[in-house]
Amino acid sequence: MDQDVQDRALPIANVGRIMKQILPPSAKISKEGKQLMQECVTEFISFVTGEASDKCHKENRKTVNGDDICWALSSLGFDNYAEAIGRYLHIYRQGEREKINHTKKYENPQNQTQINRAPPPPLLLSRVENPPPTNQSG
Amino acid sequence: MRQAGAYSGLLCGGVSGRTGPHSLPLARIKKIMKNSGEGVKMISGEAPIIFSKACDLFIEELTRRSWIMAIQGKRRTLHKEDLASAVIATDIFDFLITLVSNSDSHAVGGATNVMEVETIDYS
Repeated sequence: MDQDVQDRALPIANVGRIMKQILPPSAKISKEGKQLMQECVTEFISFVTGEASDKCHKENRKTVNGDDICWALSSLGFDNYAEAIGRYLHIYRQGEREKINHTKKYENPQNQTQINRAPPPPLLLSRVENPPPTNQSG
Repeated sequence: MRQAGAYSGLLCGGVSGRTGPHSLPLARIKKIMKNSGEGVKMISGEAPIIFSKACDLFIEELTRRSWIMAIQGKRRTLHKEDLASAVIATDIFDFLITLVSNSDSHAVGGATNVMEVETIDYS
């Protein structure tokens, strides 16, 4: 595999490491096996992206997003992946929202002072007193 | 203090500093997406991230099925012929048949006695 082609594939070290983690410790993987998996997973990305891109085109949208990838996986027969990826996407977006809230908190020290000054309403008190059980999914 | 729980699902899969919490480099995934066709204009920031996870699942499934082929051949080393056999035996991997056929694999063309493999459940 020449350098140009190699730059357009996923790094073989990463692919080999993931394969190794799946197999029993005594298993070995030939170099050719890693190379072929490298090519297969690269083709997988192109295949799914093409399907997602077609959907965007039909809907007159220009940006391929996470939902399009999930839809493409499902339409191409990778239903189990689409379910797992859907959950992952949900967790990711929650994380992004929390990050934004965290940033806002520090960007507006004035607001924080105001919040501290004002007496909290009863609803907030009841919410604090009875926090919902944290979801440990993931 | 920030709650760690919200991020644990994303961070626990981390393997190396170079790829952050993801096992595959996001920039490379994005480049492959861009090269997949003329129709791909813009890619959102989240797309390579969830593709990284999808690739993990893909590699896992194809590796498991290939390993079954190796075991059937009474071998402890996974060869590309095992990957080719797994691709041929699995419907959802049909799009790879041309790719594995181009490699000089003995598994292609010859009749292969393939054990039926149950669907992997990711629950």
